[in-house]
Parts: sequence; structure tokens; C-alpha cells
Amino acid sequence: MKTTADIYRLSLQSKVVLTFTSLIALAGFLWPFFYTGNLHWIFLIAIAACVLLLISEVGIGSIDAKSIALLGVMSAFITLLRPLGAGAAGLEPIWFALIIAARVFGPSWGFLLGVTSMTTSALLTGGVGPWLSYQIFAAGWIGLLAGALPHRIGNRLIRGVSEKFMLIVAGIVAAFIFGLLMDLQFWPWVLGSSTQLSYIPGGSLSANFSRFITFHFASSMAWDIPRAILTSALIALTATPFLQALRRTHFKAAFVAPIEFRKRVEVRG
Amino acid sequence: MITFDNVSLIYPHSLRTIFEDLSFTIEEGEMVLVIGGTGSGKSSLLRLINGLVPHHTGGILAGDVTVDGISTSLTKPGGLAHLIGIVGQNPAHGFVTDTVEEELVFGMEALNFAPDVMRKRVEEILDLLSLAHLRNRSISTLSGGEQQRVAIGSALVLHPKVLVLDEPTSALDPIAAEEVLSILHRLVHDLGLTVVISEHKLERVIGFADRIISISADGKAEIDIPEEILKRSPIAPPIVHLARALNLDSVGTSVREVRRMTSHLRDFTPLASAEQKDELQTVVAIEKLSHHYGEKVALRDISITFKAGEITAVMGRNGAGKSTLFKSIVGFHNPTSGTVLVAGTRPSDLSGRERLSTVGYIPQEPSDLLIHASVEKECSASDQDNGLEDGSTFAFLKRLTPTINGQAHPRDLSEGQRLSLVLALILCSAPDVLIMDEPTRGLDYQAKALLVDTLISYARNLGKCVLIATHDVELVAEVADRVVFVADGDIVADGPTIDVLLSSPAFAPQVAKVMSPAPWLTVKEALRGIASATGAESSE
Repeated sequence: MKTTADIYRLSLQSKVVLTFTSLIALAGFLWPFFYTGNLHWIFLIAIAACVLLLISEVGIGSIDAKSIALLGVMSAFITLLRPLGAGAAGLEPIWFALIIAARVFGPSWGFLLGVTSMTTSALLTGGVGPWLSYQIFAAGWIGLLAGALPHRIGNRLIRGVSEKFMLIVAGIVAAFIFGLLMDLQFWPWVLGSSTQLSYIPGGSLSANFSRFITFHFASSMAWDIPRAILTSALIALTATPFLQALRRTHFKAAFVAPIEFRKRVEVRG
Repeated sequence: MITFDNVSLIYPHSLRTIFEDLSFTIEEGEMVLVIGGTGSGKSSLLRLINGLVPHHTGGILAGDVTVDGISTSLTKPGGLAHLIGIVGQNPAHGFVTDTVEEELVFGMEALNFAPDVMRKRVEEILDLLSLAHLRNRSISTLSGGEQQRVAIGSALVLHPKVLVLDEPTSALDPIAAEEVLSILHRLVHDLGLTVVISEHKLERVIGFADRIISISADGKAEIDIPEEILKRSPIAPPIVHLARALNLDSVGTSVREVRRMTSHLRDFTPLASAEQKDELQTVVAIEKLSHHYGEKVALRDISITFKAGEITAVMGRNGAGKSTLFKSIVGFHNPTSGTVLVAGTRPSDLSGRERLSTVGYIPQEPSDLLIHASVEKECSASDQDNGLEDGSTFAFLKRLTPTINGQAHPRDLSEGQRLSLVLALILCSAPDVLIMDEPTRGLDYQAKALLVDTLISYARNLGKCVLIATHDVELVAEVADRVVFVADGDIVADGPTIDVLLSSPAFAPQVAKVMSPAPWLTVKEALRGIASATGAESSE
């Protein structure tokens, strides 16, 4: 039967492209542990190229007007939230909105929201630089994961308090994942080559790994813990009305509502 | 141009057919008006034309809708974009860019027009809609009428054959509405554009319409020339009600026609009926009030009092100082100089329950006051705030609109129901002063009648003071005892409704224009007046 368009879902081809580009991006995050040569600039370019490839792929795919409109409104909302955070000490008031919106509209759309909102908000805060493509992937993955959280366990629908609790946990996990990924991304550059925690080009995996872990926990205290606290607090405060408003939007947008054309209709009371 | 062939519509999650076997044809170059009560399916009918229903909303469509030979069941709305332009009630919701010129170009860019064509069309539209002097302005700084013209322009720039407008003037003041409607009239006559328009405020549009589609509550619809439809339709402007009440042979659609038909009723001198009013208690006392926003003077040296049991209409252009006056009375800001006393206290000192029972304020957008997820929750929150028994606000609301659904989300209600809800929330605390800013925007006649009854009983029976800012002279004629006219921060007129409204032809309601020089403002007054003057039986 014919229906109105569905909320955006990745097509098979998009899924392949997403997996492929994600693998390259993951390599881009993890290269310090494995790569010994001098060509790490390649990853900066490769990941930016991956972002472009991904955006053009999902753009060509059949994304419906309603999904685009939703994406635009939510990206604008998150973009406006970003400058409200100090930008320092991990106080970023954007993750709660991304997580809650992705929860309602699903993983594919959540991934797109992470990508677009990170891109547009970077333009507004002047945060454009080689790190941006890393941030875009990280945000996209977080949207994807939040959208993929289960909606029922067995026969029990996850709504209300249990849903809020799950989202708070997701917020904390997301805050730490983002911190870990960002540390991976700038650790090789940020400390110079002379400190105890610096990346050793060509050094052994174990040496670099233990240095990174120490570095990560040092920075984690300052960045990830405040980020986790802020994100979970905002989710706890806003989840109920926010989820309600977005679910109402979802209903109003009439995704996958059946359409039927008939010659005549039998009119009954 | 547009053909509906046995159309019936059922929305998803619903068992009700919106239309039943609707068939009609709209010719090229016609201007057709769609009327019907709230929820009768006016918007659905308009959206069927360009296929948004059912392609975007889902639902079962029986029969066939064709526009210029293209069936909407086979073509998605995007495929009709070049053929049909659509303009909504609130143009601000549809704008995608920042300046006028960019907004006009946007649609053409999306459809991939050549740059030189775009340039030519923009100039053409700027001239056609007299927007040339606004071309570089930011859209958010334009007035409501100008915004609506830009919205029409951005639809016309694609050279559609059909223009569909959903209540384009409901939210506009009379002058801006006139501006928009005369442009539509010109487009129909000069370009042969086909226009389908829905509107609540019939007195504005009736003169422009070639034919009317009237949708009744049971899903039946008829299409005919205005004179025929208006003979029977329950939805009609005041002069039609007047013509019907006077048992005239035909109904006129303009003041001129009805005035000619009623000349025999005016050759007597009406009796002067000056009612002497009791001295009323002063509730709001304003002395030498001035207010400045930076350099701009919003109010200068105003002294006025408002009394209990009195309904006062505050009229004047946008930006004349009406809202500033109200905000001073509500206590949103402290005046630059002068004093405002409400029931003996400064309004900005009030708080909590004392504030609720002193001043009630309903802003232009009533939904600004609604924060809960359902009607019932709003009502029980109000019970708590006012220390009332559980369910009393909802019971009051049920008396206003018996059909309201307690589970509904406040934003899903019709404009009329939403206003009833807000009225119930505010009136439950029985404030000494009730203040309403533009209460009739988007209301149909039925909702307006309900508003009039509620306000009159609140002022008369409970002896409360009611203040309304409005452009709607018909409402003023129905409900107000007194009219205060504000211009440029000054009070330029203040007196009984009859005196102020009749002294200026621009503000006279339709009935007064027909019956002039007799001092009757509403159909009821005119009937009573004629009856007492001629000594005949009252036809009421």
C-alpha cells in the first residue's frame, strides 16, 4: 500500500558508504598507536573527504521534505545552544539535545543530525579547523548510537522513568566517548615531543598506549566529567517535556501514514 | 482549471469523512471564496488542490482532483509547484530567507531557473506588488500586510496558474487586509489568475469573490454566487444578517447595495435614547503616565480612569501605544513617569495569588500562556494556582465550549477553543481587570459570538473592568461601552462607543454605515431602533 514518506533511513548503499568512511575515520583516530611514518596529515585530508563523500551520498538518497525540515529545525536549535556553553571545560550544552532528538527520530536521522549540527555550530563558534571533521564523525556516531537505543525489552515498552534513566546513562557514555575521541585526535599534537605524556612517533604500542591513557585521565578530570555532569543533568531536567514535544511532532508529521486513492468511498456515519 | 470529481476524504486515525461526494469546477480567472465553520475542512479543501492532502498527511481520497488537467493522485505536490502557489495564514511561518529579494528568488532557485529569468521576474513581482521600496529590507522588520504581500509575491514569481490562500488576512488589521485583498483583486483581473481563498472575516472579502464554496458541518458543500449562498448560510457578515432580519428581497454584499435597498427605512427621525448610567467605581487610575523606549516616546502624559462593570475598547494603529498602555497596567514595566494604580495598588508590586485576582492579561498570541501537555492539565494547574476546588476550571471551560476534548494538546485546538481555554484559565481567578490584546484574530463568527457573551456577562454580572485592544470594529460595536482612541502616544478620543465610532466613517461598523445617520451599530440595535421608531412589531 502507498504511504507518506518515512523518516529518513539509510539505504543499503548509504550504509556501505557509512561503514567504509567510519572505518577510515576510526583509523584516523587510532593511527598514533600503529603508524610509524611521517604521513599522518593524510588522515586530516582523508577524513574531511570522507565527510564530504558521506554528505553527498545521503544527500542523493531519497530524503523526504519532512525529514529535511526536521533536520533543519533541530540543527538550528542545537547550533544556537552551542555558543551558550563556555566552550571550555567540556561544558557543551548540545549533547542532550542531540541524544533526545535521535532517540525520537531514529539512528539514521540521528546520525545526520550529529553531522549537520556539528558542522553548522562550528561555523557559528568559529570552530572550523582540521579537528572539525573528527568532531563531525564523533557527533554523528553519538547520534547513531542514541537513535539505536532499544525501544522495548521483551514485551515492556521503555518509556517514562526507565527511558529517562537510559538516556541519562547514554548521555554520560556519550560524554566520555566524545572526550576519548577528541583526546585521541589531538594528543599527538598538543603536548610537543618532550613531555612524559607525549606521543612517541614510531614508539611501541604499549608505550604509546600507556602514555595516552595517562594523558586521557588527566584531561578527563577537567573536560569529560563536567561534560558528563552537564549532559546528564540537562537530560534529567528536560527529557520529559522535550521527548513529549518531539514525539508530538513525529505524530503530526504523519510519517508512513497510509495513502489510498479510490474511485468512490462507502460513506458510513 | 480546478475540478473536484466526487471527492471524499478520510484522514488516518479518523473514521469521519471530511467531504462527501464533493464535485465542482473552478474556471480560469475566477476568485472563489471557501467558507465554513472551524474544523469543517476549509484547509483540507485548499490542500487537496495542490496534493499536500493526502501525499503529506496520509488518508483515503476517493474521487479525483485535477488542476489544469493534472490529477493530484498521480502527481506529488512537488510536481505541481510551478502550477499552484500556496500562501498560509501566518506568512512568517513560511519564510526561509532573510530579505525580501532573497525570499522572492528562493522558489526559482529551487526549480533551477536561469539567472536572467530570475532577475526579470523579481523586478516584475516587485512592481506588481508594490514592493520595490522594500527590496533590501529584512523580512522580520516588515509589517503584517507587507509580509503577506511578500509571501504572495514569492508564490507568484513562479508564474502559477492557481493561487491558493488560507485565511491570508485573518491576522491583519483592516488597512493591511485591504492592501492584500486589492492586490489579489488586481491579479485576478489583470493576469487572469485563478484564486481560491478561505477567510473568516467575510465582510472583508465578500465584495471580491465571484463564487463561494460553502462547507457545512455535515460535510456537504455547495458552490454558487455570493448572493445565493448568503441567503441561507449561517456564516455571513453583519449586513447580510441585517438584510435577512429586515426581510429584504435579496441580500447585498456591499454597504452601497444594502443602503439603496433600505432607503425606505431611513426616512424618519430616530428617537434619541440616552441611557443614564450609574456612577461606577474606579478600578484603574492612570495619572500623567509617560513611557519611553530609549529615545522613542510610546506614551506621553496620559491621564485616564477605567471603571468596574465597563467594557472599554482601545483602538488605534499598530505602534500607537496600545500595548505599552496595557503593559503599564499589567505591571510588566515601571512607567518612565506618572502613576498607575490598579484597585489601589501599583501593579508591579503585586505577586502570587493577589496578582492573579487583580489583573488578568491575555496576550495577542493566547497560546503563549499554555505550557502543559493537555487541556485537563492546564485546568488543574489553574485550580491549584487559584486555590480552587479540583475540576472547577475545567467545568467552567465546559460551559464555554461543551465540545472541548480534555485530552487534547492545547496547540491542537482550534483558535476559538484555544481562546476559550485561556479565557477560562484567566477568568477563574476573577481578576478585577481583564485585559485582552487583539482577541479576535483568527476567530470565526461562532467563536466571536461566544467571546462577546462571555465578556459582557463578566463585566455586567460580576461588575469587573474589561479592556480590549482591537482593530475589529464589529466586535467593538457588539461589546464595548466606551472607546478610547490612541494615536502616537496620546489619547485622541474617549467617549461612549456610539459617539466615537459614528464620528469617523473609517471606524463605523457596516450596520452603522448602512443605517447612517441613525445611531445604530449592530443588527440588534437597528431592529430595536426601527421597531420603536415606527411603532411596528419587533421582528426579533
